[in-house]
Amino acid sequence: MKAKKYLAIKTVLLAALMLAAIQPSKAQIMYDSYFNIDWQYNVPLGKAFADKSSGWGMNFEGGYFVTPNITVGAFVAYHTSIKYIPQQTIDLSSSSAMTTNQKHTLFQLPFGVSGRYNWMTESIFQPYVGMKLGANYAQMSSYYYVIKHYEDTWGFYMSPEIGVSIFPNPSQRMGFHVAAYYSYATNSGKVLTYSMDNINNFGIRVGISF
Amino acid sequence: MTVKKLSYLMIALTVTIVSCQKDPSTSDLHKDYLVYTAYDTSVNFSGFNTYYIPDSILLMTDESQDVYWSDEDALEIVNAVVTNMNAYGYTRTEDKETADLGIQMSYVKQVTYFVGYDNPYWWWYYPYYWSPGYWGDWYGWHYPYQVYYGYTAGSMLIEMMNLETGTASQKKLPVIWDSYIGGLLTNSAELNLTRSLQAVDQAFEQSPYLKK
Repeated sequence: MKAKKYLAIKTVLLAALMLAAIQPSKAQIMYDSYFNIDWQYNVPLGKAFADKSSGWGMNFEGGYFVTPNITVGAFVAYHTSIKYIPQQTIDLSSSSAMTTNQKHTLFQLPFGVSGRYNWMTESIFQPYVGMKLGANYAQMSSYYYVIKHYEDTWGFYMSPEIGVSIFPNPSQRMGFHVAAYYSYATNSGKVLTYSMDNINNFGIRVGISF
Repeated sequence: MTVKKLSYLMIALTVTIVSCQKDPSTSDLHKDYLVYTAYDTSVNFSGFNTYYIPDSILLMTDESQDVYWSDEDALEIVNAVVTNMNAYGYTRTEDKETADLGIQMSYVKQVTYFVGYDNPYWWWYYPYYWSPGYWGDWYGWHYPYQVYYGYTAGSMLIEMMNLETGTASQKKLPVIWDSYIGGLLTNSAELNLTRSLQAVDQAFEQSPYLKK
């Protein structure tokens, strides 16, 4: 609960800093560009490592309007999923076994390029469909007793997304952003006896857009 | 002006990303004990019949001399090992000289000490551990398999030595089974004892190869 409060405060402060950096009359930092800063709620799909939904993540994205409807840009996001594993006995090797409870965490940090097709770019509600492509760094960790076992993995990342930017005053392009996404990454790895083969997620993003 | 604003954004983004990984709360992990067991796969345990186990547990502390734990609680924990060994078909003997197996128990009370399997000679330098000489004409310990211990306060170690080994000339006593138990130090002495007894049972339960 305390940690959630900290995340909320951090997100609000960051959003405030972003907004403070923008003059109302010149909402766009760069002409024909856009920026999104989002909090995200991520839901792992299927049986996976640390497959529990959580809100420990954010997304940052910026792009340029190459045509009135099409943008290209870059993104970086991060997310942590945490799952408690009740006490169980696992065979570590042919000669050793361990009984313990654990906490599994999966930290993902995808980054790369993004593209969007936008509609109604002069209106208050500006929907779009997009695609993100890039690399995904993921760290699998098992915490038990006073020990942390982890493995760093890398994979290819792709994520289709639909969303809408909401600008109460479209001429200033300063408003809100809501999106839903699916993501797939080719990361694979193993910690203790727990393995991961690909990462599939579904999630929503809520944030600011300018 | 635009560049300045962008630099603010980049600084804020960098700070956020750097501090972004969420570490889980580990308080739940202390709700239960940990039991790790390992053994020498080349040993046929059914060939052993008798074992010797002292009635006390060595305390690994920062005291300047060996301290043994031998009150009723300690005896109850030792008896839990005895019960499990007997249930697996072994016979306890009071004659250390003729016993096939030796079992020693240690409890880490105050120190924090870490050791890796790639440094097997730490036993030589750890001042208040069991002396190999306790078991006979031995100069050290020998692990025929990889072990990795993380010693923290509230940990217990149960080790089984092959006293019948034919490699006595090497003067290193082989530890053929060991169990590391962690998480035994809570604010409740009763809970600590309960956990210790449960953990001893678990150590044998996950070591079915010991059964004769």
